[in-house]
Amino acid sequence: MEKELSNHYDVIVIGGGITGAGTARDCAMRGLKVLLVERHDYSTGATGRNHGLLHSGARYAVTDHESAVECIAENMTLRKIARHCVEETEGLFITLPEDDINFQSTFVQKCTEAGIRAEVIDPQLAKIMEPAVNPDLIGAVKVPDASVDPFRLTMANVLDAQLHGAEALVYHEVIDIIIEQGRVVGVKLRNNLNGEERNVHATLTINAAGIWGMLVAQMAGVKINMFPAKGSLLIFGHRVNNMVINRCRKPANADILVPDDAVCVIGTTSDRVPIETCDDMRVTPEEVELLLAEGMKLAPSLGSTRILRAYAGVRPLIASDDDPTGRSISRGIVTLDHEKRDGLAGFITITGGKMMTYRLMAEEVTNLACEKLGIAKQCETATTPLPGSEPKVETKKYSFAQKAAEGRHGTLNASIDSGDVTSDALVCECEGVSVGEVRYAVTKLHVHNLINLRRRTRVGMGTCQGELCACRAAGVMCGDDTQKAINDLAGFMNERWKGMQPVAWGDNLAEAQLTARIYQGVLGVDRLANERRVECYEI
Amino acid sequence: MKGEWSAMRFDIVIIGGGLSGLTAGIALAEAGKDVALVSAGQSTLHFMGGSLDLLGSDERGNDLFKPLDAIAKLNEKHPYKKLEDVSRLAGVAKQILERAGLATTGYATANHWRITPIGALMPTWLTLEGMAAIDDPDKMPWRKVALVNIVNYLDFPTKFLAAGMRERGVEVDVKAVILPEFQQLRQSPTEMRSTNIAKVIEQNDLLVKFADQVNSVVGEGYDMVLLPSVLGISSNEKAMQLLRLINVPASYVDTLPPSVPGVRMQSQLRRRFMALGGSFFTGDQVIEGIYDGNNLKGVKTAKLDGTVLEADNFVLATGSFVSRGLVADYNHVYEPALGVDVDDLGLDRKTWATVDVTEAQPYMEMGVATDHKLHCKRSGNVMSNLYAAGSVLSGHNSIKLLDGAGVDMLTALQVTENILNQ
Repeated sequence: MEKELSNHYDVIVIGGGITGAGTARDCAMRGLKVLLVERHDYSTGATGRNHGLLHSGARYAVTDHESAVECIAENMTLRKIARHCVEETEGLFITLPEDDINFQSTFVQKCTEAGIRAEVIDPQLAKIMEPAVNPDLIGAVKVPDASVDPFRLTMANVLDAQLHGAEALVYHEVIDIIIEQGRVVGVKLRNNLNGEERNVHATLTINAAGIWGMLVAQMAGVKINMFPAKGSLLIFGHRVNNMVINRCRKPANADILVPDDAVCVIGTTSDRVPIETCDDMRVTPEEVELLLAEGMKLAPSLGSTRILRAYAGVRPLIASDDDPTGRSISRGIVTLDHEKRDGLAGFITITGGKMMTYRLMAEEVTNLACEKLGIAKQCETATTPLPGSEPKVETKKYSFAQKAAEGRHGTLNASIDSGDVTSDALVCECEGVSVGEVRYAVTKLHVHNLINLRRRTRVGMGTCQGELCACRAAGVMCGDDTQKAINDLAGFMNERWKGMQPVAWGDNLAEAQLTARIYQGVLGVDRLANERRVECYEI
Repeated sequence: MKGEWSAMRFDIVIIGGGLSGLTAGIALAEAGKDVALVSAGQSTLHFMGGSLDLLGSDERGNDLFKPLDAIAKLNEKHPYKKLEDVSRLAGVAKQILERAGLATTGYATANHWRITPIGALMPTWLTLEGMAAIDDPDKMPWRKVALVNIVNYLDFPTKFLAAGMRERGVEVDVKAVILPEFQQLRQSPTEMRSTNIAKVIEQNDLLVKFADQVNSVVGEGYDMVLLPSVLGISSNEKAMQLLRLINVPASYVDTLPPSVPGVRMQSQLRRRFMALGGSFFTGDQVIEGIYDGNNLKGVKTAKLDGTVLEADNFVLATGSFVSRGLVADYNHVYEPALGVDVDDLGLDRKTWATVDVTEAQPYMEMGVATDHKLHCKRSGNVMSNLYAAGSVLSGHNSIKLLDGAGVDMLTALQVTENILNQ
């Protein structure tokens, strides 16, 4: 049962990516009455489909000083406020024989100018620090890159927004913007799980829908010039590298390899795509080839490492308003006050930017919102730790699953039931997810299906890619509607395949065959499922 | 290569210790041949559960009641088309299992239905004694079933099983038992899996205790008790004994993998093979064939350093991709042990797999190329003494047709006859 929604908010935030979640948090912390709406699950757009790189800013130092400065500042902030989402790996920028070594000095100089600690190190030392690095390297610079879990980071922002009184709805899609007397006064929502529609009103509506923000703006009758840029990535079956490895050259395709948890990710490509295709991005064989070939230049052992899956996100790049040709594209943060820009009061768009700068984006747009609402309270998101990252209280002896859960939920781990046979039974062996953690995710973290659960707990993200744990989890989550649970299982299988199909060779093909044998041959999931819908945005 | 190579000589060397390799090994050993079998140790039998399929579905996905009739209509690429007499070989297969201590219900003339761990009914050919088997999916044989699980054992999803049976008009009550002896397993939650539970029950002789628990939670009014198949890892005796201790007729339903009946099937077949005098090289794999024209003289393995296994005939039964009998690298598919020809269907990687996972995936039909006598080929030349059997063969999709075990056993038996009749 959904609880009754209030009929008036100060702010409705559209979009449950990191920007929307961060904005909801900031607004709520300043005392605004907030509703966050997301049409699918949290972090299903670009937020969940990137490297998981906590940029030092070095990548932008040469080409985009402003972005570099923002990145390093946010990098240092997130290490503090989102400790449980960040792994402090450090990063290398390597120069290969085919690259221009002279670029290195420019790079270091520009990094320094932006306030990024960039330290030239001996290639021999680089090989010791990071044994996976291409041994042919002729130059190396160490920078404060790190890795970050975007799913966890988004969820922590949502949780904190809720702790500050915000309401948050997943699977609620904005299907219309309500305009009265030249002013946006609310949105029409559709519950995508049951089809119900209703109107919700607010003084301000903030469009934080990433690339889909273009369509949200359209509903409000305003035009934003956005350029969907597809970026494809590959996830490898184990963690080849312990430091982020970048190429020391102007940003290009497939030149960043990031260690994330037990895996590593190479990316990205960058191609303009039509907005209509953004709901179902698929990685092409050509992109796989490019990513693999370039990735092997960073770490040659990628060539013999199993690729778990391929996925793609869409960056919300935006053309400068003063350039009608749309050629001048900014990767910087863009806040559009539609009252000033289009004469449409009550409506603001926050876009552009990067996952790295989400907090800053949230701060900017919340500042504007507060100004409009006459709120004087200052932003505190840069200094207040997110839930899960508060100072740790050292406690009892932990089991494997409890340690794993602590890694995922930080201090929130204390809310997970444990210590009895039911709660401690293990659902996912690869990732150490217990029944208690699954139940915690279902009751507290807005989990409606197995794919949601994977984002919250990493169930099925390990090397087995959900071989057995998905089925166990479906059994644990299953209420009275077993048909829904079986359909969910079939959907999960479909979704896994979507990521595996572009890289179906080697061990991956063998694993795909095993999965098919178990799910279809042994269990007969496809016989029981009565819904073939593939949630194509779910990856 | 180190020093001189010595040779060990056999009548037949079989490569692969799954259902197909073991079937061929047993059949050849029963015929008095001196057989060696090289096995990597893993077998997909561990996933297969308590039933063996012959042909469950036609190419359009319809369930089949009479598999033999449908086999006649299969397309020419299907391995069954290389069998002289499917019906007779199916009978031989059943007897081979029987002699290995694996009593089964079912015949090739008519499929029956097994209950899957999530409550689907699927057509099958032979089901191991003790496992639930249903003659007609539209006429469930039970009115009221007690589904009894072990507390917090997650690999027996009772909600799905109950829903599957209720859908078919059966009244189902879900019960659970708890034994203090499982506490040891729960200390480490990864241990709470079917094969470990089986060991605990069998080693501590908990049958009577377990049965008492089941009887007390079940009570009156049921005409069937269904239990997770967590018994009978080494032999079926204890599993059957437990069923007899329960006051109501009782059967097992398979769990999520690993499958205890599957593990038992593999170990009993292996024991049978060794009891017949077969030599079993386990944890090893063939890495190279030594050829003399169209004749395979011997094979080298990873572990038998300096020793070549020589034989008059060889059988390749290494399975499909999942068993590494086939390997797909970036842009081609090959057979890694002996380098024989593969029917890769002339596809490039882009067409190996389609986007919809529920469609028939083209890669599933890839396998080694054989002539009508199941001889392998190298560079198009038929190898006179090298045969292939089982899932390594090309031309069928066992997930869509539900014919995996049948292909494994029957092609192995045909190869056996081809060798014996040379």
